[in-house]
Amino acid sequence: MRIMKNKRNFAVALILITLVSSLAFGQGPAGQGGQTTKGAVIKGKAPVNKEVLKVKLPRAEEATLKNGLQVVVLPMHKVPTFNMQLVVLSGGLADKADYRGLSNFTAALLREGTTKRSSKDIAEQVDAIGATLTATSGLSSLTSVVTTSGLVENLDQTLDLFADVIRNPTFPQAEVDKYKTRTLAQLQFQRSIPQFLAAEQFQRAIYGTGHPASLVAPPSDSIKKLTSKDLAAFHSTYYRPNNAILAVVGDVTLKDILPKLEKVFGDWQKGDVPAATIPQAPAQSDSRIYLIDRPGSVQTVLQLGTLGIERTSPDYFAVLLADRVFGGGPSGRLFLNLREDKGYTYGAYSNFGGSKFRGTWVASSEVRTDVTEGAMKEFMYELNRMRNEPVPAEELDNAKRAIIGSFALSLEQPGTLLQNIITQKLYNLPADYWDTYPQKVSAITAADVQKAAQKYLDMSHLQVVAVGDASKAREVLTKYGKVELYDADGKPVTPGSESN
Amino acid sequence: MRRVSKFLSPLFVCALAVLSAQAQGPRNVRVDFKETTLKNGLRVITVEDHSAPVIAVSITYNVGSRNERQGRTGFAHLFEHMMFKGSENVGSGEHFMLVFNNGGNMNGTTNEDRTNYFEILPANQLDLGLFLEADRMKSLAITKDNLDNQRNAVQEERRLGVDNEAYGKSEELQQELLYDNFAYKHTTIGSMEDLNAASVEDVAAFFKMYYAPNNAVLVLVGDFNPATALAKIRNNFESIPSQPTPPTVDMTEPEQKAERRANVDDVLARAPRVDLAFKAVPGNTADFYALQVLSTVLQGGQSSRLYQKLVKEKEMVTTVGGRMDEKRGVGALYSSATLRQGVKTEDVEAAIYAELDRLKKEPIADWELQKAKNTTRRNLINGLQSALTRAITLGQYTVYYNEPGLINVRLDKVAAVTKEDVQRVANKYLVDTNRTVVVTMPKAKSATGASGQ
Repeated sequence: MRIMKNKRNFAVALILITLVSSLAFGQGPAGQGGQTTKGAVIKGKAPVNKEVLKVKLPRAEEATLKNGLQVVVLPMHKVPTFNMQLVVLSGGLADKADYRGLSNFTAALLREGTTKRSSKDIAEQVDAIGATLTATSGLSSLTSVVTTSGLVENLDQTLDLFADVIRNPTFPQAEVDKYKTRTLAQLQFQRSIPQFLAAEQFQRAIYGTGHPASLVAPPSDSIKKLTSKDLAAFHSTYYRPNNAILAVVGDVTLKDILPKLEKVFGDWQKGDVPAATIPQAPAQSDSRIYLIDRPGSVQTVLQLGTLGIERTSPDYFAVLLADRVFGGGPSGRLFLNLREDKGYTYGAYSNFGGSKFRGTWVASSEVRTDVTEGAMKEFMYELNRMRNEPVPAEELDNAKRAIIGSFALSLEQPGTLLQNIITQKLYNLPADYWDTYPQKVSAITAADVQKAAQKYLDMSHLQVVAVGDASKAREVLTKYGKVELYDADGKPVTPGSESN
Repeated sequence: MRRVSKFLSPLFVCALAVLSAQAQGPRNVRVDFKETTLKNGLRVITVEDHSAPVIAVSITYNVGSRNERQGRTGFAHLFEHMMFKGSENVGSGEHFMLVFNNGGNMNGTTNEDRTNYFEILPANQLDLGLFLEADRMKSLAITKDNLDNQRNAVQEERRLGVDNEAYGKSEELQQELLYDNFAYKHTTIGSMEDLNAASVEDVAAFFKMYYAPNNAVLVLVGDFNPATALAKIRNNFESIPSQPTPPTVDMTEPEQKAERRANVDDVLARAPRVDLAFKAVPGNTADFYALQVLSTVLQGGQSSRLYQKLVKEKEMVTTVGGRMDEKRGVGALYSSATLRQGVKTEDVEAAIYAELDRLKKEPIADWELQKAKNTTRRNLINGLQSALTRAITLGQYTVYYNEPGLINVRLDKVAAVTKEDVQRVANKYLVDTNRTVVVTMPKAKSATGASGQ
């Protein structure tokens, strides 16, 4: 099991409401006698408050600087710290096909030297004030994000460093070279991680070879040719105030921070930023089975999934609920079945994600080698159950309560609240999107969920990836179709050439 | 060695107060807690905080893998899993289903020195949170089926984190090599063999001995009415009978006289790795805080000496890092470096030792001391943001040091560390004879499927 999201909170007005669809969970006649779901026994004797706490989400304060930089501030004064993000509205999706990883490298090298400071100066100055400063951009992401956090007593110094790496990076060639060799070595290290190998093959299975989401790490041939000049060009084109959102949460107010932001970002020049073209996901291939041989493995890492939805899909809420029921956490069917009932694994989950192109919907688990067959059977059973049977009313209601109830917890999590605001802006969602989120969740029916499962958990296009001891897992997987064998370097192994 | 005593109730009053320091100076955050002991010996700590509509409950039991006997390694953690398999009024798995299905979050964790259980829920589910914890403290369901099921889950947890992971066995070996006293000389996850040996009788005996109210601390933090909440706590917990005090564990760790060293061939690894440990002191001691500062200077963040020297300047390693481990018994300072291709492990060791020598010979710089203090300050303050981390921290400090108030004075203890302290502890603990070294080499892949497992 996993947990731990935390941070602080916000003073809220709260009202108690009863969920329209709310059934008595655990109390009264409905829970009598104790019904049993696979993997759990529900006695229904614990005192559950049937009302779902409805909370009022805090409002962000907003402004726009003259150069177009959008500023969003969410004041939370409980502890004297802050967290600030510059979200540049260009990321891996802006990279050319033969330069995958450019946005990623540009972000990573921001703090390796500026016109005012060396890499070492930056490291020392950031650490000396107890701040953090990081920058990342994914290979298929919409954005590049520079994040800093620290103590409010050091806000001015932190802002100075933050603005310096954003505005004045020089990408010294010597630092670029060091970073390249380090990254190539790390790629080797990642190949020891079975989940990395599984994700690499799974993304390829879903997105083919041309789409940026087909990659989970920058390809080495593209790394090798990147130069300081390429990074500087990416930076100069896309890191522009009119192409960015600056979001702050913590012990600050818009009124206090705005003059400080004017000071460090006010004369940052606008630019003509080319619009990103969003590459659509390719048509789904027929169901295929990939086995990656990782000698010495005592577990099989399984990932099964399909092409999912865009973030703005009208099916979003149906998929959200379907995923929650299917494998969204320890109360999901996959965990209850594969772990609590069968004891095959430490955990089994599903998750989905979507961007401006369609994301994936994937179920995964790590199981000991000799129950690979049993685990495959249960995955198939649960996939088919999602497709073939409507979710029982109480189970669906629980999923809704889980999602809506967790809004109370988010009031203690500034990171979550900030991310919600950024998501709303990034995808042009309505201004009241998060306020009306509970209603949208409540409105979903069992028929909606089943329809979403039938549409997206499409067995004829299901991609199955297994990483483990091929000599033992191969025969099991053959029962589900033709198995394509790869080695741990991601290279296909021709049938018969592998020793056994 | 420390033990939690069962009485002692300094009374404080309510609310997380944010006190502005006089004049300039950084703002400090104080957690005001109230402490009570129930008739059965259960220590109760409450912190009222109405800033978000949540409640966090933690129960920390004074038992960990240090309490395990030979032949039953991994048992404290296996037992923790059993706590989710049902009790008189709660079905198997119902605990976590109820928490998640009502918008909450929860977990249980075990380490060498304690076992904790916690949940955070919307504030209107206070009754639920207390009931769930009380019912399993009162009446755990102990069955062979549940034990076999969780034995499997735990063995998969071990495979996931140790047997199927590169360097997993090196970490386990380091623990066994580092300590002489059995209490810490084995991992919390335990061996497959010992997990297989655990019986329902073991579970029942362990439950009776350690899962008694007088061996636990309950912490409640959040949006509740203190009078009502305390009445609810009494109502749920006070009737649970206390048990004889569990036997104390001898935590004496003999002084190390010579370097310890082992080599591991790892078929799952792709790069050589060097793991170092220097046996040191228990947590919450003056030398512990000095070693924490030292560790931040040596290996914390990109400005650290090891990162600048080994990663950036010499380009010998891809990653380097480590920590000063906080334990009730003797903890150690750990460092670990993953090598670049073609680099020799002895050269990496020599480069690290050269940096340790600098710490012994010269005082650290002003900015480095500032870095350690500011970083600690940010981390500790961020840890006070959520009700759940406050609940967990208070429980831990109480069981570890019998000092819940450490939550308010820990920063002062770090602030008191001087450059001389850092130099002194470097000379005292970072010596060759006190060193445990594990070197992992990737093992050339034998023919597919013939790895001999």
